[in-house]
Amino acid sequence: MSALKPIIITENVHKHFGAFHALKGVTATFYEGQVTAILGPSGSGKSTFLRTLNRLEPHDIGSIRVDGIELDDNLKRLDMIRREVGMVFQSFNLFSHLSILRNLTLAPMRVRKMGRKEAEEKAMALLERVGLKDQALKYPVQLSGGQQQRVAIARALAMDPKVLLFDEPTSALDPEMVNEVLAVMRELAHTGITMLVVTHEIGFAREVADRVIFFDHGAILEDAQPQAFFTNPEHDRARAFLSQVKHGF
Amino acid sequence: MNWVREHPAWTMFAAMIGLLLFLWGMAIPLSLAPAPIGPAAEQFAEGARITVMLTLVAGTAGIVIGVLAGLGKLSAFLPLRWFCNFYVWLFRGTPLLLQILFVWLVVPQLLPEAMEISDFACAAIALALNVGAYNTECVRAGILAVPHGQVEAARALGLSPFQGFMDIVLPQSMRVALPALANNLASLVKDSSLAYAISVVELTMVGYRIQAESYQPIPVFLTVAMIYLILTTAFTTLTAALESQLDVGRKR
Repeated sequence: MSALKPIIITENVHKHFGAFHALKGVTATFYEGQVTAILGPSGSGKSTFLRTLNRLEPHDIGSIRVDGIELDDNLKRLDMIRREVGMVFQSFNLFSHLSILRNLTLAPMRVRKMGRKEAEEKAMALLERVGLKDQALKYPVQLSGGQQQRVAIARALAMDPKVLLFDEPTSALDPEMVNEVLAVMRELAHTGITMLVVTHEIGFAREVADRVIFFDHGAILEDAQPQAFFTNPEHDRARAFLSQVKHGF
Repeated sequence: MNWVREHPAWTMFAAMIGLLLFLWGMAIPLSLAPAPIGPAAEQFAEGARITVMLTLVAGTAGIVIGVLAGLGKLSAFLPLRWFCNFYVWLFRGTPLLLQILFVWLVVPQLLPEAMEISDFACAAIALALNVGAYNTECVRAGILAVPHGQVEAARALGLSPFQGFMDIVLPQSMRVALPALANNLASLVKDSSLAYAISVVELTMVGYRIQAESYQPIPVFLTVAMIYLILTTAFTTLTAALESQLDVGRKR
């Protein structure tokens, strides 16, 4: 454990949406190479927390440091952080007017100033890795949900991020497409990239995650090893949540 | 129309070549027509060229104005929003003819004496401001139609707000706004005829002069109407093809 290097440190992070207090002082440290599953009932603040980590939701109080850089209103620092932190969304959010290939090459060319040829070679390699090399010239609408999400993962990887944030990556998918996305994520988890995954996939969390964080009412209620959390959660709220989620399967 | 949809690039190319050929070649067949059309063939052609020039200059400037004012209307900066709202309100709420006369009579007074501004430029400015006001609303609606997730994805990838706008929001909003913008362009071809009021010798003015000399309004105005129809057909073919081109990501 001593060799672990912190990559994201949050201290007392608060977030309000109008009168609603969505995050109530979240303090946590995430380490390089760690795969963290973030669980919790809807409205518990887990997605909001994830979205504060690349400032899609600016936090009101507290501090967030990513790779040693303070996350605040400074646009230069924010751009530096966003280059290092990739994100995969529930609804994929592929750029609908661009081909799959262009979806992958756009950010490396614009942000990393990579040449077109190099960006395309890299994109093709990533598409091959997620099993979608043949779809490079299609448009997002021509792909299934599972394929779109795999492209979205490849798009995030094209920027060589140190951290990947997943915001319920399988929640919008038909059941038969969930596994193909989880397979890609499982493969990724073994490459040593830092992953924070907001999910309802208990099986995935149990099998792949190094750590489980349970959110409730805008705060971290439990922070534990998966084995401990799933077999013997400390709080009743977590136990109730688990029995409900398991019931759904 | 199916062919147009399947070959948008070729259609745009063909429409542009067709328009150029028509503008520079129409005098040849027209000159074969009996009087009063034949002898005035070159005037018709020149009038049509002025009409197209007015349309292209005012249309292009009107798109730029529409994008800027459309963005301004969505700005978080309140005075800018007020200004853009005021602009749209003013130019949609007053007659185009009045706007043309106003620019023609007032702008030269505001300029230093050494600077001259042509009648054509006055008409182009007024038409651009007018069509720009209508474009503003189309562009605004187009931008609002882009799902917020697209912007979030761009920002999450590290694209700056400007890059996100140019690469993602603008192209997607244009896809939505284009049919309405094309409508405005088709109107502009015809609205440019109001420039006759400040003695710009565009197509309608040419027709008016020739019928006044020949006392034969029917063949003259039929010829003018036919030329307008060919021009609007070329423009709508062009914009329809552009629409198909931009629509590519929505095809199944």
